Amino acid sequence: MSEVKKNLVRYQDLIIKIREFFYSHKVTEVKTPSLLLSPTTDVYIDSIEVKVNQAICRSAELYLHTSPELEMKRLLSKGSGDIFQICQVYRDNEYGKNNSNEFTMLEFYRIDFDMHHLMENIVDLLAALGKTEAITKISYAQAFFEYGNIDILNSDLKGLKKIANSLGLSSNYDWAEDLQTLLFVHLIEPKIRQIPICFIYDYPKEQAALAKIEGSVAHRFELYLNGVEVANGYQEIQTANEYRDRFNTEIYKREKISKQISLVDEEFLKDIKDGLPNCSGVAIGIERLFSTISL
Amino acid sequence: MNYSTSQFKNGMKLMLDGNPCSIVNNEIVKPGKGQAFNRVKFKDLITGKTLEKTYKSGESLEGADVMELEMQYLYTDGEKWHFMEPESFEQFDLSEESMGSAINYLVEQDNCIVTLWNNNPITVVPPIQVILEVIDTDPGLKGDTAGTGGKPATLNTGVVVQVPLFVGIGDKVKVDTRTNEYSGRA
Repeated sequence: MSEVKKNLVRYQDLIIKIREFFYSHKVTEVKTPSLLLSPTTDVYIDSIEVKVNQAICRSAELYLHTSPELEMKRLLSKGSGDIFQICQVYRDNEYGKNNSNEFTMLEFYRIDFDMHHLMENIVDLLAALGKTEAITKISYAQAFFEYGNIDILNSDLKGLKKIANSLGLSSNYDWAEDLQTLLFVHLIEPKIRQIPICFIYDYPKEQAALAKIEGSVAHRFELYLNGVEVANGYQEIQTANEYRDRFNTEIYKREKISKQISLVDEEFLKDIKDGLPNCSGVAIGIERLFSTISL
Repeated sequence: MNYSTSQFKNGMKLMLDGNPCSIVNNEIVKPGKGQAFNRVKFKDLITGKTLEKTYKSGESLEGADVMELEMQYLYTDGEKWHFMEPESFEQFDLSEESMGSAINYLVEQDNCIVTLWNNNPITVVPPIQVILEVIDTDPGLKGDTAGTGGKPATLNTGVVVQVPLFVGIGDKVKVDTRTNEYSGRA
């Protein structure tokens, strides 16, 4: 068998195993639109704009989805139950060894799962894919204590700037979350490279994204495989008002750093007006996962 | 001239905390929900130390005017070590501190790489392999030719290297300057 064919079959096996895992857990596969009316509001993710229908005088600007998250949440709010999707997603301004303008995402939602339950589910999925190394689970705060001797949750913008300066790094950042991320990339990521499977959970509330906040932390987690970020998950916020607030925060930040902004997606908020069920969801980068798996 | 993170590449010479440094490794890290960073490993060209820094993509650093030139080692007057650039015949000198371990391996007329920063020499890298003469060592055991054991030998630059037992005073030996190891008889 040629190397190309070997790799194609290996990839196919991975996708088959993922599907089998979800089918056996009674999770329904869905397919949602990838051309959307609104760009993402995420401050550090940029949508790719596409112009359509110019020749038929119905010109419109659409945006390739950067993740199927909101479209899947529409389904959840309408009673879809547990769902998963494997799709291509597109992001502008991405470059590097582990980044590109398009990649394959596995996204899934489990009803009545909290964050820890969902992490357990991912461990089972990894096992089904042949990844059975020891699992490390460590909170964001604990990781900073252990690998950097830093009390991250009790460091404000001023304190974080001082830490960055003491490490000889620029402290020219506007928000605490940016400095938290700088310190994470600088201090923590190189340390967790030795760990095959590492979950980091309970992010500082400034980095909540769309996760539920409790006290000073958000029930958000990330999965790192040998120091490479592979998954990002939340115990999901449920009401339209919470979504509106989170979108507005991101839009405000985009405006502050002079990025293209869009209005809050009112259609989405209308569609989820009855709220999402209590659930947790996660997005997994398939190419990055594939590169760590030997099926 | 300033260089932005998007121009960073291995081997690029930049100013860091007042010292010229060379990029050893440059990694772009874009957290899913965060901004993009460059995690960069540098070698300080003066101290030789490795430094790790992380920059927000788009930050920039001042370039360092650093050149590596092949030169001939001329002589030492005890305080300075003198070198000549063979094309321009321009001469440069380095202090003992800047010479570092190169002191152990250079004999007159040897060629080596001298790094200039703002036209001042800052470091010298000797050839990977040099030929030096044994000026002192204990007599070897009779009949030992396989070189199974070892003994210290002082070479003509003053450096001490472990050599096989059969090597005697006056012998010329090859030394690997990266490891300070004997690599054969010359």
